[in-house]
Amino acid sequence: MESSVQSQTRPTESAYRSSHIQNGDRIAAIREEMEYLNTIGKSFVAAIDRFQVHRALLAALQELYSFAACSILLKGEPFDLSIIPCYPLSQAFLAAMIERIASAASVIDFPFVSVKELAIASYLDAPDELSIAQEQDKIGGTEICSFLSIPLTVENRIIGMLSLFDEREGTFDSELLKLTTMIADYAAVALENVRLRERETALWRQAEIGRQRLELIISSMAEGLLIANERGGITLLNLSARHLLAQARVDLKQEIPLRELATSSNVSWLPRLVEIIDQGLKGETVMNQELIAGEAGESVPLTLSISAAPLHDTSQSRSRPIGVVAVLNDVTANKQIEKLKDEFVSVVSHELRSPLTAIKGYTQHLIRRIERRLRKTQQEYLQQGKAITTADIPESYDLRSLSIVQSQADHLERLVNDLLDLSRVQWGKLHLHYSSFYLADVLSESVRSVQASAEQHTIYLDIATQDTSIVADKMRLSQVIGNILDNAIKYSPHGGQVMVKLEKQTDEYLVSITDQGIGISPEYLDHIFERFYRVRNTASLQYSGIGLGLYVTKAIVEGHGGRIWVMNNEGLGCTFSFTVPATGRSD
Amino acid sequence: MSNMSEHSSSDSREQIAEAYLKVLRLIDDRVTPFLGKVTTRVLVQGAAKKVSSTYPFLHFLIKMPYTEIVPAVMQEQLSGVSTVELAAALDALLQECFAGLKELTGDLIAPPIYDEVTRELEQLH
Repeated sequence: MESSVQSQTRPTESAYRSSHIQNGDRIAAIREEMEYLNTIGKSFVAAIDRFQVHRALLAALQELYSFAACSILLKGEPFDLSIIPCYPLSQAFLAAMIERIASAASVIDFPFVSVKELAIASYLDAPDELSIAQEQDKIGGTEICSFLSIPLTVENRIIGMLSLFDEREGTFDSELLKLTTMIADYAAVALENVRLRERETALWRQAEIGRQRLELIISSMAEGLLIANERGGITLLNLSARHLLAQARVDLKQEIPLRELATSSNVSWLPRLVEIIDQGLKGETVMNQELIAGEAGESVPLTLSISAAPLHDTSQSRSRPIGVVAVLNDVTANKQIEKLKDEFVSVVSHELRSPLTAIKGYTQHLIRRIERRLRKTQQEYLQQGKAITTADIPESYDLRSLSIVQSQADHLERLVNDLLDLSRVQWGKLHLHYSSFYLADVLSESVRSVQASAEQHTIYLDIATQDTSIVADKMRLSQVIGNILDNAIKYSPHGGQVMVKLEKQTDEYLVSITDQGIGISPEYLDHIFERFYRVRNTASLQYSGIGLGLYVTKAIVEGHGGRIWVMNNEGLGCTFSFTVPATGRSD
Repeated sequence: MSNMSEHSSSDSREQIAEAYLKVLRLIDDRVTPFLGKVTTRVLVQGAAKKVSSTYPFLHFLIKMPYTEIVPAVMQEQLSGVSTVELAAALDALLQECFAGLKELTGDLIAPPIYDEVTRELEQLH
C-alpha cells in the first residue's frame, strides 16, 4: 500500500512542480504584458495632439512588429488620412497603401471614399529621424506583401481604421493580433480625446470671438447699456452709459447695490434708477421710463429714457431674475423740441385768442343788429298789411352767413381753448377752482346742452345715488363730461342711444358714458388719452379734431385725484368711465 | 471561395435559416476575441449590405444585429423565399463575410475560421 501510495505520490509532486513552474511562467508573461500595456497606455494618455498619438502608436506597434508603415483613416467631413512611415517609402508603395485602405474601408461600412479622394486627403506624418535616412537614399520596395487593418472603435462606434503594411510576407502574426487590437483601442481613445480637445478648443475660440464681438458691439452702441446683478449692483456699463450717467460723479460700476449708493449719495435721480432696476428684478419689463439726470435749474435738463428687462438664467425655468439689462437713450433733444413746440402752441393759442374774441364779439353784435332790422322790416310790412316771411327779406341771408361765422368761431374757440389747456397741463398750470355743487346738476346741464345739437341721438341720464354733492372744479368737470359726450355723439354717426350713469362708491363718484358708436380698435386703447393722438383707421378719418380733448380730460380727472379709462362694449360702441373724489383731492 | 455547403432539397427553410444563424454565431465567437464585437458586427452588416442588392430579403440584417436574431424573426423576414434562393443568399452572405475578413486581416485568421464554418455546415445537414 505504502509503495503504491509512494508510487502514486511521486508523479503528483512532479505534476505539482511542473504546474507551479508553468504558473510562474504564466504570471511572468502576464506581468510583462501588463507592464508593456501600462507603458504604451501612459504614452497614449500623455499625447495631447494627434501627432503625439501617432508617435505613441508607432512606438507601440514597433515593439510587436518590424513593418514599413501604418496609417490612420478617421471618419469625418472631410476624411482624415495620416500615413506614418517607418522608413522612406516609394511612391508606388504609398499608392498601393491608399488603394488597400480604400478597399478595407468599404468592408467596415465606412462612407464611400474613392482612392483619388483618399490620395488628396492623405497626410504623410513621417518621424523626424526619417529625413536622415532619406538623405542616405534608402527607399523601400514597391509592393505590399503583408497588411492588417483594424477598425478603431470608441464606445461601440467605429471612428476610423488603423492599417499596417509591409513589403515582406508574413510580417503580421495572429498570436499578436489581440494585442494589436488592444493598441488600436488605446489609439482610438487617445485620438477621440484629441478630437474632443480640438473641438473644445475650437468652441472656446468661437465663444471667445463671439464674446469679443459682443463686447465691441456693446462698447460701440450709441445707446447706453447697463447690466445689474441680482442684488441691484451694476456689473456692466458701456461707454455710452458711462457718459450718460457721468453726472452722478459716483463710481456706479463697483457692484455695490444701487439702493445703497442712492442712500449714501445725494444724486437726486438715483432713487428713480433704483426703482426701475427693482421693477426689473421683480420680473417686470419696463418701457421708456423717463429719468431726469441733468442738473437742477437747467432749462432742459439731461433726460434719459430707460427700458429695462429681467435677465433669467436659461438653465432654470421660472426662476427669479439673476439680473436686469437696461437700455438708456438720451431724449434731451426730443425734450427740447417738445418744449419749443409747447412754447409755440402756448404763444400761438394766446395770440389767436384776442382776434378770436373780437371776431366773436363783432359777429354777435352784427347778428343782433340784423335780427333787430329784420324784426323792424317785418313789423313795417305787417303795418302795411302785407304778409311776409323772414326768408323774403334779403338781410336774412346775411344773418345765415353770420350764424355760420359764429358757429365756426365757436369751433375755433374750442380748439384754442384745448390748446391753451394743453399748455396749462404741460406747464403744470392747470389750476382747479374747487367749490361745492351737485354733480347731478352738472350732468343734467351737460346732457341737455349736448342733446340740443344731437337730434339723431337719445341721451339717457341715470342717477343711481341720492347724494350727489361734491367739492370739485365745476367748470372743469363740465368740460370733462362735455368732451366725452361730444366724442360719444361724434363717433356714433348713425345715431343711437348714449347712456350717462352716475354712481356713488365709498368716497368717490363713478361716471360712465356708454355709446353705440364705432368703438375703438384694441390696439389704440392704450394711446387714446395721449396728446395729439388720433385713431388712424378709415372709419375715424372722417371725424374732425386735433386729439387734445381726451388728453385734457384725463389731466382734469387726474388733477382731481380721480381715474379715467375706456373699454369697448361687447358688440357695439365703448364706455368711458371716470371717478372723481367726492370731497376734493385728498393729497 | 466555392459554395460552403450543398443543401438537399429536403431541407426546410427553417432548417437552412437555423443552420446559417449558427454559423454566424460561430463567426462571431471566433472573430470577436481578435477584432472586437463592434468590428465583427459591422463586418456582417457590411456583408449584408453588399448582398442585399441581389437578395433584398436579407436587408433586415443591415439594421438588426445578427446576435439579436432568433429563428422566429428570421422565418418572419424570410417568408415566401424559396429554400434554394435562401440557401444561395445566406451562402453569399458568408462568402462576403470572409471576403471582408480577408480584406482586413489577410490570411491571419480567416482560413481556419472558414474551415471550421464549412465543417459546421456539413455537420448540420
